[in-house]
Amino acid sequence: MTWPERFWWVVTWASVAWYLTVTVYVSIRGGWDIRRMLERLDEQNRN
Amino acid sequence: MAAGIWVRKYVGKVEHFLVAGREMDVFLGIASLAATEFGIVTCMYTAEAGYKYGFAGATPGICQAIALFVIGVTGFCIKPLRDSGVFTIPELLERRFGPRVRWASGLVIVLGGLLNMGVFLRIGGEFLILVAGLGGDTFPLEWMMTVLLVMVAVYTILGGMLSVLVTDFLQFVVMSVGLIAVTLLILFQIGWSELAATVHAKHGPGGFNPFIHAELGWPYVLFQMCVTTAATLTWQTSIARVLAAKDTQTGRQIYTRTSFFFVCRFLIPGIWGIAALAILAPEATPSNALHAMPTFLSQFVPVGLMGLLIAAMLAADMSTDSSYMLTWSSVIYNDLLAPWHRGRWNDRVGLLCNRLIVAAIGLFLLVYGLWYPLEGNVWDYLAVTGTIYLASMSTLLIACCYWQQANDWGAFAAIITGATIPSAYLVAQHFAATQTWAKQVGPYYSGIAAYALTAVAMVVGSLLKYFFRPRLTEVA
Repeated sequence: MTWPERFWWVVTWASVAWYLTVTVYVSIRGGWDIRRMLERLDEQNRN
Repeated sequence: MAAGIWVRKYVGKVEHFLVAGREMDVFLGIASLAATEFGIVTCMYTAEAGYKYGFAGATPGICQAIALFVIGVTGFCIKPLRDSGVFTIPELLERRFGPRVRWASGLVIVLGGLLNMGVFLRIGGEFLILVAGLGGDTFPLEWMMTVLLVMVAVYTILGGMLSVLVTDFLQFVVMSVGLIAVTLLILFQIGWSELAATVHAKHGPGGFNPFIHAELGWPYVLFQMCVTTAATLTWQTSIARVLAAKDTQTGRQIYTRTSFFFVCRFLIPGIWGIAALAILAPEATPSNALHAMPTFLSQFVPVGLMGLLIAAMLAADMSTDSSYMLTWSSVIYNDLLAPWHRGRWNDRVGLLCNRLIVAAIGLFLLVYGLWYPLEGNVWDYLAVTGTIYLASMSTLLIACCYWQQANDWGAFAAIITGATIPSAYLVAQHFAATQTWAKQVGPYYSGIAAYALTAVAMVVGSLLKYFFRPRLTEVA
């Protein structure tokens, strides 16, 4: 494998691993963010 | 769609509609930015780049990831922008260069943005028809485009940015699962070695290195660096996430933590394009390189996974279309209509006006998508149309934030130069007398010229005002 090939091999698998991890993490934390955002907006609208 | 419509009850003010009340936190921001910047059109042009140029076609993704990371860490331009509390970039420019520059900036942003987005629906419809095998008289492209648009328009019109954020989150999850599943299937079934060997056979060493690729070279890399850096600073859909963030630090974190996604955004569909190159038999290869990836997927992906893929791509397309419709409408309302409403319309009228603008943009997309004949690569078209405003707005924003001597003469000179060069190139492509010339110059040299000459125009214009109107510049 040449250096450029090795570079793209690393970037490809890093992309898949990073994307998989971020999808799981953001799926959980993003849901909480939505809940808190809607609570704050609800409070703003009531005031 | 139901989630998007449900959150409309939280929209009480124009601020809620345009920037979700500036209540967005980091993880929702990451999901929203990623979902917005990955639509079917993205998948199609990045796969086309992989098919035509091999791994070298993913270079713009690396450039953009670097730009996002550096700008997020340093806060270059985005910190003063978010600190100012504006809704759009032209609003900030008005504070430095006056209301006329704000209006002119709004005009080029809308012109460049809508021309750019004009092809989204058509390409989205083409992908779904090819992958799902719906073509012909049974389900024509026009119907596919209309159905897609109506679905997106309903919740965007009702809930604005709030609906966009909530649906972006759900669409991010569905889209990501589909993208990862298909990519893993390709990597395990076809294998890395086969993909690399195909790139070697079809493109040689240039397939791995854009600098030595026969059709790319340093002008391509330099143009991608200009486009992606300018887009990170001023692309309205990206900047909308910074402006909707709950504070400046959150906006910067969204940029930093989403940066690597932009490598995935170009590389993952790029691998699909390379797989199409490896697997499709010569007689099955479509004449249009854009259609190679969906043709390959329709033959390669098994039935069960095909359902997930179509759901993923529908989700990706809806999140992109909704966000783009909303952000261009925000510029039309906030900047182009500013001389009429002067910020004095009440929230009810403001919301109604914004909703009507979103609906009008939807109608434009349908009409433009049907009649505009696309020439050359989709990514090149998007980069050139984007440059109509990216060149001038990035120059104006940098000058506004960091150059004391910048003034309205320089701003106007930059806006005119930045819009003229790419527009002239686009027009030249369509006339028989200038077609050969346009082909010789190509999108990369014309793009680099646009960025370089726009910066020169800003400097020269500003200095000319100092020379001819020294008293006015002192007052400013």
